[in-house]
Amino acid sequence: MKIVVCVKQVPGSNDAKIDPETKRIIREGIKAVTNPFDTYAVEEAVRIKEKIGGEVVVLTMGPPRADIVLREGISVGADKAVLLSDRAFGGSDTWATSYALARAIEKIGGVDLVICGKQAIDGDTAQVGPGIAAQLDWPQATYVMAVPEITAAGIQVKRMHEDGWDQCEIKLPAVLTVVKDINQPRIPTLKGRLAAQKIEIPTWTAADIGADPALIGLNGSPTRVVKTNPPPERSKASLKLNGTPEDSARRLVRELRLRGLV
Amino acid sequence: MQQHIDNKTYHVEILPPKQDSEKLDADLELFATKFKRVMESGYCACLTDNAMGNLAFQGPEMLEELGLEPKKDLVMIHLNTFHTKENLDGILNSCKALKIRQLLVITGDGSDRLPKLAPSDIGAEGVESVTSVELLKYIVREYPGDFELGVAFNPYEPEEHEAAKMERKLAAGAEFIITQPVIERNEIVDKLLAKYPTIPVIVEAWMSKKIDLLSEAVGYEIKTATDPFDPIATLKILHQNYRKCGIYLSLLGFKTQYDLIANTWK
Amino acid sequence: MMANTDKARVSYKNIWVVAEVMGGKVQKVTYELLGAARALANKRKSELWCIVMGDGVSRETEALFHGGADVALTIDDPRLSRFLDEDEASALVRLIGKHKPEVVICGATTRGRALIPRVAVKSNCGLTADCTGLDIDSENGDLLQTRPAFGGNIMATIRCSNHRPQMSTVRPRVMTALKPDPSRTGRIIREKLRPTEITDLKKVIEVFHDTENAVNLADARFIISGGRGVKGPEGFKLLKTLAERVNGAVGASRAAVDSGWVPYNHQVGQTGQTVQATVYLACGISGQIQHLVGMQSCDYIIAIDKNPDTPMMQLADVAIVGDLFEVIPALVKEIPKT
Repeated sequence: MKIVVCVKQVPGSNDAKIDPETKRIIREGIKAVTNPFDTYAVEEAVRIKEKIGGEVVVLTMGPPRADIVLREGISVGADKAVLLSDRAFGGSDTWATSYALARAIEKIGGVDLVICGKQAIDGDTAQVGPGIAAQLDWPQATYVMAVPEITAAGIQVKRMHEDGWDQCEIKLPAVLTVVKDINQPRIPTLKGRLAAQKIEIPTWTAADIGADPALIGLNGSPTRVVKTNPPPERSKASLKLNGTPEDSARRLVRELRLRGLV
Repeated sequence: MQQHIDNKTYHVEILPPKQDSEKLDADLELFATKFKRVMESGYCACLTDNAMGNLAFQGPEMLEELGLEPKKDLVMIHLNTFHTKENLDGILNSCKALKIRQLLVITGDGSDRLPKLAPSDIGAEGVESVTSVELLKYIVREYPGDFELGVAFNPYEPEEHEAAKMERKLAAGAEFIITQPVIERNEIVDKLLAKYPTIPVIVEAWMSKKIDLLSEAVGYEIKTATDPFDPIATLKILHQNYRKCGIYLSLLGFKTQYDLIANTWK
Repeated sequence: MMANTDKARVSYKNIWVVAEVMGGKVQKVTYELLGAARALANKRKSELWCIVMGDGVSRETEALFHGGADVALTIDDPRLSRFLDEDEASALVRLIGKHKPEVVICGATTRGRALIPRVAVKSNCGLTADCTGLDIDSENGDLLQTRPAFGGNIMATIRCSNHRPQMSTVRPRVMTALKPDPSRTGRIIREKLRPTEITDLKKVIEVFHDTENAVNLADARFIISGGRGVKGPEGFKLLKTLAERVNGAVGASRAAVDSGWVPYNHQVGQTGQTVQATVYLACGISGQIQHLVGMQSCDYIIAIDKNPDTPMMQLADVAIVGDLFEVIPALVKEIPKT
């Protein structure tokens, strides 16, 4: 079984500080990290490989330094890595991103399963996973919380919904996006980290994957951000209640009543 | 363990590099250098397990990957309860393969990245969570005769509580005891020695000049005879007060202090 | 990218809302979207269509007209009683190609978020997820889509100038449904699934509706949320009593979920759910960034903590310094049973 895991490097965030003026979160110390959901995706792929044999390839589309997230994947059990990097990909929205990743997956060849994290915490769209499935015309399952069974022909998955879950059988090849509940990611071993340091990671350009220049980067992105604004202001006045629990409760309920909430 | 005390063998703590180290090669080399030095000196190297909940590499995997050979009975591995069962058995089997017999079994410190053994993982019944006691019982049951097991003693925790825990630990299979850092003398450690005269006890010496860090860790100010705190002088006093005990050196300065301890244990 | 909009801008017309259907019934979020889309259709002087796919959905059309739709396009098929993303996507792509809507809007639910990205790729058009605002550019008639970015620190306005249809997903409880007007009527278009659209790539073999533990954080008006300060599953039972009193849902921080005090479907935050409730009551949650980005757009934020200086206490509109184990029971007493 050949499994490709799409991972993304995203800005991490450290301590939360609230700007008392605007009540917005001040993000300090932005460090680049692996998108948390992708860690679960890599772990699930490695577990499947350990169960039924095969190969796990981690793939990312990003700047040259995104190789760090690929090496993290190797340190916990992925076998190979591919870095998709090209100036031409700059400015890609989710359409163009899923197009490029799909072409890369085709170039990797012989892929049975693609696993992605549910969404990236910077863009937060959750569109690339299903987008890849559509580009490849493969079946998909999103919000996957368990993979109870997998054989060469098909895979059983449990999908999370707002009101419960369902269990589906899907033909391979397929694309899955996974949620946090699906597993507990392992910690890299020293052996894994040493392998990750050593491994050669090929960089593929747009030309390498045969991408149509009109379908990548800014050109390939149907959506454009035309404006950014600060968010609507939160009321700066905050009420601090320091009294007895009964007093605080009474005050709060009064405020809720004033707002028609109780 | 009694041999170490009779032979005046120091226990030297070495922390494996942190898992997210950005200068991994340098850290690995430093570890190897320290380890080899300890082996050459005939001291016992004590390798920690995710000390203070910080993700670090495991002792056995350090030795295996770096090709470092443990000298007979001169390596002790810390083992805590923050592992998956697979991990745990992996570590124990590696120790066996490396012919490492001495384990310090502790509950340990967790973090949000560390898994924790569940009672059902190790066949423990009637407990809500796994402590060193349950882990001891597991090792004694599943790996009979393979290891010499030690436990920790904390004289800074409520006395009765710690004493009761020690009884349980000994009943579960503990064969030696290592204390938390003692500065010159500690009454409660003296009581421990009186209570268990036949059990080898190793007293930990705080080798860092920063005594305030220890005060912070235990929650009250530790008074010392020397001011500023002099670890080497204090070590000598410790030897005098605890002639029947072994010594565990934590935070030993390999550059500044290592040569100074060549003659402190007489 | 091309081929999508030759004489396109002129030939694509009408606003579509893709209905969220569960068990053959159209869900509340659809009516909210019809409310928003009605305004868009009025500005564009075009029709508002509601696309309803499921088993038994023909019964739903009247209510859709009352809710603002001019046209109800139905695919009523027993094979759609379970959620088959690939089949629904194929059908929707065909319908879009046939009827050429200018705008397509869908709820940002687990189903919507599985379905619409697939449709957008196959239809070669742009999709903006989780829009909090939708408007029409008065100059050229483009859809202006507003959504939060960078954890809610900025609002981005997105436009899709050269591709049609323009697609958006919108979270539940962001838009407002119209007051149902029983005098409104509309047109029904009945479509059928084509054989090629039954892809057979997926089979749903079991469905579980968790009525007891169902946590609909997305729909909840009130969320009572617990963190490390709640100290254990017993504490969450206490939060539940308050949640029941206000018809709300129980949320949790990652710390509480990771400690096993409450299941993952209660988690609010970066790796859980993002919520936009009217009231968010944070109990014993210090407010790490990863949590805050999941709830900072709630209208009224209340925090209870022993520590007055946590980020959550600073963010809150009402900060109660106290022991949640005392304050919560006091609140339950003050709020009458409904």
